[in-house]
Amino acid sequence: MRKHLLFILALVLTFGFKASAQSFLENSQVNGSFQTDAQYYMLDEGIGINDLNGKKMGINGFGKVNYTNGNFSAGLRFEAFLPEMNGFRSELNGVGVANFYATYDNGFIGATVGDIYDQFGCGFVFRTYEEWSLGFDNSLRGARIVLRPTKGLTFKGVYGRQRYYWAPYLERNFGLEDARGLVRGVDAEWDLNQSIPALNDSKFRMSIGGSFVSKKQYDMSVFYYIPENVGAAAARLNLGYGNWAFSTEYAYKINDPSAINNLIYKEGRALMASLSYSQKGLGAVLQVKRVDNMSFKSMYTGKQNDLDINFIPPINYTHTHSLPSMYTYSTQPNGEMAAQLQVNYTIPKGTALGGKYGTKLAFNMSQVNDIVRDSVLDHGQWVINKPGSLGYASKFFAIGDRRFFRDINFEIDKKISKDWHITAQYINLYYDIETIEGHAGAPPVKANIAFLDVTYKINKKQSLRLELQGLWENEVHAGYEVEESEKKDYQKRGDWLFGLLEYTIAPHWSISIADKWNYGNPVEEFRDHYFTGNITFIHEATRVMLSAGRQSEGVVCVGGVCRVVPASSGVSLTVSTSF
Amino acid sequence: MNRLFSIFALAALMLVSVGCDKIDINNTHKPVEPSVGNKTVLIKDFTGARCVNCPAAAEYAHELAHQLGEERVFILSVHAGYLAQPLGQFPDFLTEEGTAWYNDHDANPLFSVDYPTLTDGHTLNAEQIDTPVADALAEPQLFEIYVENLYDEDTRRLSVENTFLSVGDGSGKYYATVCLVEDSIIGWQTIPGGVDREYVFRNVFRGTLNGADGELVINGPFFYGDYFTSTCSMELDSTYNADHCYIMTYIYDNETGKISQTAMEKIK
Repeated sequence: MRKHLLFILALVLTFGFKASAQSFLENSQVNGSFQTDAQYYMLDEGIGINDLNGKKMGINGFGKVNYTNGNFSAGLRFEAFLPEMNGFRSELNGVGVANFYATYDNGFIGATVGDIYDQFGCGFVFRTYEEWSLGFDNSLRGARIVLRPTKGLTFKGVYGRQRYYWAPYLERNFGLEDARGLVRGVDAEWDLNQSIPALNDSKFRMSIGGSFVSKKQYDMSVFYYIPENVGAAAARLNLGYGNWAFSTEYAYKINDPSAINNLIYKEGRALMASLSYSQKGLGAVLQVKRVDNMSFKSMYTGKQNDLDINFIPPINYTHTHSLPSMYTYSTQPNGEMAAQLQVNYTIPKGTALGGKYGTKLAFNMSQVNDIVRDSVLDHGQWVINKPGSLGYASKFFAIGDRRFFRDINFEIDKKISKDWHITAQYINLYYDIETIEGHAGAPPVKANIAFLDVTYKINKKQSLRLELQGLWENEVHAGYEVEESEKKDYQKRGDWLFGLLEYTIAPHWSISIADKWNYGNPVEEFRDHYFTGNITFIHEATRVMLSAGRQSEGVVCVGGVCRVVPASSGVSLTVSTSF
Repeated sequence: MNRLFSIFALAALMLVSVGCDKIDINNTHKPVEPSVGNKTVLIKDFTGARCVNCPAAAEYAHELAHQLGEERVFILSVHAGYLAQPLGQFPDFLTEEGTAWYNDHDANPLFSVDYPTLTDGHTLNAEQIDTPVADALAEPQLFEIYVENLYDEDTRRLSVENTFLSVGDGSGKYYATVCLVEDSIIGWQTIPGGVDREYVFRNVFRGTLNGADGELVINGPFFYGDYFTSTCSMELDSTYNADHCYIMTYIYDNETGKISQTAMEKIK
């Protein structure tokens, strides 16, 4: 009898556990992705690579896994830079678990511990994100609480220390580079349309929000009193009515002397506003932005994009073709005045110009100038940007004479027939290479750029794509005199031609060959061909790409944040997959 | 819910109230008194382990530094040239930067006093350095250099922060070069009549942290009390003895090529 009772108990427990485990497993979801980018470097005297500096190969790889079960989720990202590919910061060299997190969120309250990625408003005072192509990650290791006390109302609080490559997260780490401060922030947002039942289906839309973020850093300066607590606040408003939408955000930052602003004690300010209209076949956006001393880092000695707490959104057209994207604007946190107008119009089908499939037209114009800087009185002396002073005075709406960037472009996108599709674009560019890329004394790039992108569908599975591109500078081209000592600033200057032919066998294969030729460089030894060949294989979510050839010196920018890519020659392999 | 909201509101209010330190703009400078009158001099000794006359010349320079004050006269032993080429048991102290500074000369020992590179008019023999050193010491001091080293013994990572405090007014382009120096290395050295197998190499230049020409730290006018900083870092080679390593930083005028001031600090 006792034996039977034990057997029944064991059975109940086993089935009970099994049922519970089964339910647990049924609710579980796992997803993730992996990517490896590898490049084998070769000597190539033709483009000036006479020494590999002992580095024959660079490999960047990551794998991330996320687990979700009901209100709970957790994940981690493993990274390996063995060593890092050329053009990435050497501090990335290493391997390990770069990020991990665990979150519980039941809709009313959400709590996250670990590495946090989040953004308040447009990012003027807080944005943590990761961008693989830049080797950028400013995640916050700490905690986040999200409260949603009622429909449409959201409160957030974050607290932690930012990632700085592989430096350990200690109270005060070794080294000047690692003396990171703490970041604390709160944000509130109220969506009136969700909160007020009468506005639920209204044509009128409105939401408001506000944020406050503060860093607690160490004063390591021998000479200046560095504020240990630096706060930044922002307020935002989004309005909409029918086809119209308007959004704006204003941010203010208290004195924050840093290596980026030359240790001045001026307050920072930023404003961005956007007005848009859209209807079927027509869309237009007008944006304006002013930024004044708004670099905000969790360590005042940080340089480049190290430990950025905030993000200043760029308002420029993002070019994707090779030559138009050679000169991409990099946001200037110390000061810029920018404006952009984008209009998209589709000529309807069945009209004379629209043809059978319609014709898409796009016009974009963006310009960025410096702000005006006037001298300020410092201990009886008129100074501009002197360390320890207020730096300068700047009228809020005054536009500086120095133009950093201008891009006027017009694009036409047309499906001509069932088999033919063309895209063509013309760009008029002005690019202050001295300010943006630091080539001291180099004249700005004033160029006309055009491309034609033609796709011909051979049959249901096969297609051919041809790209022809040209970039012609107005002043700097063959014949322009360059001093011997300044040659290095003209590595990619002058006129370019680019051609690409791509053959695709859907859904798996794609083969392409391309050549980029700097035929009009003012320095004869830089008039090089950069030829490449690519083979890509795609199977479901897996992509394998093998490339060989040369890569020209350039800048890779994502969202106004850039990194320099040196010229290289060799073979590269990219493997990525997700599940 | 109300309690949670109250806690959140309270935390936000606390953060806003303690999250900002306003610095009085009339009081941004910490009280630091520059020590005017401490012009330092850098003697670069271009030497080689197979150079028979080099030990005597090095001794001459060190004796001069000892007489005039080792806290003001610094010596950097730069191994460069044919007689510094490694051979057999002779040590290899060659560096790219040292070779660049040597500037295609063809003899050892050679010296420069307050000039980064051996150039016409600034290339001296050992017995010629006394007067330039004395003259340089008598020049007005333009900068005070503060070198702060942070060295992690586990990772052998070295971070250096240099601060250049101007103790006079001026203008121009000034570059700073940050050198790693290792002292008291034992090795083979040719001496008159043979080889000293336990020769003590003093202040051996091991390379720079920011290139042979250094980096631009001042570009334009500067005034008494202005300061400029530069930071750099490196991983110390596993064969170097960290207990004997120093950072030597000098700042020079790009137009004249003349070194204005030099400072040296142990890394540990």
